[in-house]
Amino acid sequence: MTPEQESSAGDMEIVGAEVERGPDQMIVTQDVKKWFGGFHALKGISMTVRRGEVVVVMGPSGSGKSTLIRCVNRLERHDAGRIVVDGIELTDDIRNIERVRSEIGMVFQSFNLFPHLTVLDNVTLAPRNVRRWPKAKAEEKAMALLERVGIPEQAGKYPALLSGGQQQRVAIARALAMEPKIMLFDEPTSALDPEMIKEVLEVMEELARSGMTMIVVTHEVGFAKHAAHRVAFLDEGNLVEEAPPDTFFSNPQSDRTKLFLSQILI
Amino acid sequence: MAQDRAIRTELEGTVVIDEGLAVEVAPRKEPATPAEWVRENLFSSWFSTVLTVVLAAVIGYVGFGLIRWVFVAAEWQVFKANLRVYMIGRFPLEEAWRVWASVYLVSILAGLSWGVSRARLAWTRRKTALRAVLGALFLAALTYLIEGVTVWILLLGVAVACAAGFAAGRRTGRGALRWLAVAWLLAFPAVILLLRAFGGVPPQLWGGFMLNVILAVVAIFVSFPIGVLLALGRRSNLPVISAFCVGFIELVRGVPLFTLIILGFNILPLLLPPGMQLAVIVRMMIVFTLFSSAYVAEIVRGGLQGVHQGQYEAARAVGLSTTRMMGLIILPQALRNTIPAMISHFISLFKDTSLLTALAILEMLRAARRAAGQLQHLGSTKEALLAAAVIFWIVAFSMSRWSQRLERRLGVGER
Repeated sequence: MTPEQESSAGDMEIVGAEVERGPDQMIVTQDVKKWFGGFHALKGISMTVRRGEVVVVMGPSGSGKSTLIRCVNRLERHDAGRIVVDGIELTDDIRNIERVRSEIGMVFQSFNLFPHLTVLDNVTLAPRNVRRWPKAKAEEKAMALLERVGIPEQAGKYPALLSGGQQQRVAIARALAMEPKIMLFDEPTSALDPEMIKEVLEVMEELARSGMTMIVVTHEVGFAKHAAHRVAFLDEGNLVEEAPPDTFFSNPQSDRTKLFLSQILI
Repeated sequence: MAQDRAIRTELEGTVVIDEGLAVEVAPRKEPATPAEWVRENLFSSWFSTVLTVVLAAVIGYVGFGLIRWVFVAAEWQVFKANLRVYMIGRFPLEEAWRVWASVYLVSILAGLSWGVSRARLAWTRRKTALRAVLGALFLAALTYLIEGVTVWILLLGVAVACAAGFAAGRRTGRGALRWLAVAWLLAFPAVILLLRAFGGVPPQLWGGFMLNVILAVVAIFVSFPIGVLLALGRRSNLPVISAFCVGFIELVRGVPLFTLIILGFNILPLLLPPGMQLAVIVRMMIVFTLFSSAYVAEIVRGGLQGVHQGQYEAARAVGLSTTRMMGLIILPQALRNTIPAMISHFISLFKDTSLLTALAILEMLRAARRAAGQLQHLGSTKEALLAAAVIFWIVAFSMSRWSQRLERRLGVGER
């Protein structure tokens, strides 16, 4: 960990009634609620993520952790509460949504690469079409990113020819190509074979060290211990507990957290 | 079978190139001699022996009868004498150069496209033999049918134009594809202008096979974008738009095409503003286009359903606008999946143009029926209709082969 990150680690902030935007508050959610039909997925989540902070979100399935980060880039519309990303509040205004989305990179559980485009085209597509970069610049950037995630030699292939771990690393490169300020990871290793998890986690840890603001939904305890500044625990749509990883794993406060940890830590 | 094998080698070829490794292929048991092949495939058990013998007898009897009829008994004079009517109907002879010019334009473009696409023909021995036989048959038929030297020279010119386009296409880069697409789009109005403008021939006089082709091409190319829009509109969040699209699609699909044709023939003129007149053929273009768009819309809808939800989310997550998301991510995948159904629909649409025979429009089937009714060709109805059927079949079959090729080219390396 860098000294800068160490100082911010351990800080915990609970947002009050007013959303105040400090210079280093990247994501502020305030009393966010979400229903799917009759199912109450989020029951008022308030959380702040600072610039450069890495937050791991854990919780049993159906606890709302994916829904929470999908609300942050508006893949789901929150029904109540406020979400402010880098000073931009998410409303129904499509321009705000597109601005926020181009600042947030997202990595999905099932990769969701574009199967009809080569790896290189997957990575250059958004910079060329959204940022309007010329082809040469976008490709140069893309090759640098593929280098960074360790698979420059796969640039000309179609995604279907790559292993799961390679596909997920391409997905990370694709998200980074837009030069986002925030990266969201929705269970990035859950669909991977065990031997491929490590290569993806290594890329993510390198990204965390570089100072990227990240929210990571995952069950990878090792990643949480190594890279996270904070672990947030969700259960049944409530934010039950937030703590630095050391405290979270060694001295959980709530019973539900204890139960969950006893189940995943065997 | 031969085709399966060709695909397999192609795929294996890709793998070898990509990985830089030799791929070990499971040993395949190949029959050593032709005699062994025959024993294994035709006479492996008493049942298969009986089947082979019976089927061979039936095929032999029918085949012999057919060949004898085609080459000996049939009176093809009816087709030969009416060849021009079959092809262009009552199009005036002194204006026929307009048709030839159009044919040349299309041939050059086709040759260019073929060249640019770098299509490789799989020249297996069996395919070569088949092509040689078909080519010889075709040439023989032409030799029998065509008498004038002029027509021969013109046909030779078509072949040369096609080959020249092919050679030129080979030399240009893949970047030329975009220009070719534009050229094809422009070719269509160009052909219409060639036929119609500058003292040309009014649509009432267009006829024969040319008319079937023009009608089908208009309907296909205009209905495709309309159909895509209808399919997208059907999924729209705006109730007015989606209701309109669903209403249109279900109305048009629920009515027999022939009913629509009659409506277009009899009723449409009454609905036009006073003083405005549309030629029958133009009205039929409208009918076929609307009919086809409803079907295209449903085919595209099927393709859209095949695109995974994650593709929408990934496209949105990188910041693409809805238009770009549809154009760059969703439609390319959806449309690729619809190729078989789409081509199949276009083939039936092309054949359905023969329904206009009932409106006394001189398209090819009508031309055939008229030829069969001529006094000097009485009794040649079979030959007259069969000739039209064969021409329809050749075009429909080529379309289906082209679609298979397209599927294979677009399918490589994906999913």
